[in-house]
Amino acid sequence: MPFEASSDRRGRQKLDRETVNTLLVFGLSIVLIVCSRFISPALGSWSQVLTVLILASFLVIMSFGQGLVILIGGLDLSIPALITLGGVLTTTWIGTADTGVWYMLPAILVICALVGAVSGIGIVWLKVPPFIMTMATSIVVASVALGYTSGTPRGGSPSALLWLMKSWFLGVPVVIYFTLAFILLGWLLQNFTALGRRLRALGTNRNAALIAGVSVNRLELVPYAISAACAGFVGMMLVGYSNGATLRMGDSYMLPSIAAVVIGGSSILGGSGTFIGTVGGAILLTTLGTMISAIGLSEGWRTIIEGAIIVGALLVLRGEFLTHIGNRMLTRGK
Amino acid sequence: MSAIAANPAPRRSRPWRAVVSGTGIVALIYVLLYALYAFWQPDALSVYTFTDLVNNSTPLALAAAGETLVVISRGFDLSVAGVVSLTNVLMAVYPLDGPGGALISLLMCCAIGALVGLINGILVAKLGLQTIAATLGTMIVCQGLALVILDAPGGMVADFVTYTLTDTLFGVVPIAGLFLVAAIVLWLAFRRTNTGIGLYAIGADEQSARFSGVAVSRVRIAAFVGAGILYGVAGFMLSAQTATGNPTAGTPFLMLTFAAVALGGTPLSGGRGSLVGSILGAGTLMLLQKVLFSGGVSSFYTGIFQGFVLVLAIVFGNAVARLLRKDEVR
Repeated sequence: MPFEASSDRRGRQKLDRETVNTLLVFGLSIVLIVCSRFISPALGSWSQVLTVLILASFLVIMSFGQGLVILIGGLDLSIPALITLGGVLTTTWIGTADTGVWYMLPAILVICALVGAVSGIGIVWLKVPPFIMTMATSIVVASVALGYTSGTPRGGSPSALLWLMKSWFLGVPVVIYFTLAFILLGWLLQNFTALGRRLRALGTNRNAALIAGVSVNRLELVPYAISAACAGFVGMMLVGYSNGATLRMGDSYMLPSIAAVVIGGSSILGGSGTFIGTVGGAILLTTLGTMISAIGLSEGWRTIIEGAIIVGALLVLRGEFLTHIGNRMLTRGK
Repeated sequence: MSAIAANPAPRRSRPWRAVVSGTGIVALIYVLLYALYAFWQPDALSVYTFTDLVNNSTPLALAAAGETLVVISRGFDLSVAGVVSLTNVLMAVYPLDGPGGALISLLMCCAIGALVGLINGILVAKLGLQTIAATLGTMIVCQGLALVILDAPGGMVADFVTYTLTDTLFGVVPIAGLFLVAAIVLWLAFRRTNTGIGLYAIGADEQSARFSGVAVSRVRIAAFVGAGILYGVAGFMLSAQTATGNPTAGTPFLMLTFAAVALGGTPLSGGRGSLVGSILGAGTLMLLQKVLFSGGVSSFYTGIFQGFVLVLAIVFGNAVARLLRKDEVR
């Protein structure tokens, strides 16, 4: 009986920590947006908030995939390469002519998902550590994209993507409605489907999941495929946003995708974390990035701050960190 | 015959173990690949080509040597990319000429590497972060610092460093090679110390190592600091070779060091392996690039080969580890 009681308490405590963290991240974003008024009067306005949300939508979608991979205890370093792949294929295969856009866009997403599945196969059956396998995939994909385009991708954006990224509905950009729908679906998938529960089980304890009858090997491929498809879709969104693709279009997204998940309260060891938290992390990071560039700090400082935030978030989220510091202070005081 | 029958579990002799170990296998691959290179490129056997090859391989070999220390202790160190970029940029922005200047630069590179290693070590051993997460953070911070110091490729490394370190001693011995020899000698001495033995022990089983009295966090920090110093020297040698600064100079090292370590027979699960193997692994990777180039493969597609070699190296490393384990059980 005491065992049951203690396990129950632990479950509640963890839920509380996740909720607290999510609220904290969202609250911090709002405080930052309000405070940004003091830096420059142009910041903190409604249109500026919408710009931040559009920029955050890229990060939200790619970090959904990254979040699933981290949930099962992996790490996906191939997101930048797949963003580029999605973007380059969209401009070269579809382009401004809109040739077969309704079946070509899904086809490109399927190709991206297959690339992700290949990473998964290497991780599951060849026993290559996830970060190395995805790094290898990413180098191969980047190299194929470079060779295929001979260095300069051609073509512009299909009109459907321009519509998604540029048009407005009831005073709000269409892409924000789309992202809200995506967040809802992602949240439902992670929390209310068998797939979501199995992935969480796999991340918490692989052996226990296996004994519980989850086919762990096949399941482990899924997050990598989803992550790759999400990254490919972000590539398409970027094509619509800037009306073209470049070979380096994904480069600046590797760290933010990991940072958003970690700041959102997911454990880097897997098994815990919510998509809503990640969404908060993505918005917070984007707000911070916008502010940093408004202050006029260079790319380098931005990178340093991002790195420091990742390490800080990891330390704070270890949970026992604060108690550790507290104990230290108590023993010192004696 | 009867002697063997009486002793059903004979331990393999030392030479056999050396051949079957990762180091022996990668040495064999290197020789075979070099023979292929010499076949395509008849001047491959000249001192000039060999010096060139050693110069090209040294930065990666030193970085891989450092990574090996962390991998043996069962960890991953991503900060290699950050330290190499940071030291390269510093060498290019603050060049110090003359032998004294070169020495100060080298010490500065070592100090930066040691500091980053110390931070990694504390984050992992004292604050309990996962190695991959902690070193990802320090890698990002170092890359940011490199961008702050130099935001675009440029700058000039001191002439003395550029010319002397890519030269040969007495016309035959590449000076860069001496750094590798120094690293190997230090390693052979280090692995006999208590810390060196502890390194293998915590890689094989941290819990039992702790119970056997190994100072786990001290050994772990030592591994990260040693690794950091080697990355610093790698950045120093890279600057000597490229003669210029590039804030993203270290990025390719991230993948290639792991490939070199795995190719050198150090399993990524820790507890085994050798620094010498990793140095040979790095040499093999650089040689492979030359062989591909002389074989007429377009430079657009070298990434494809690198990706495949990386995965194959890991699979190969896993296979060697399994082979060795079987050999031990027998």
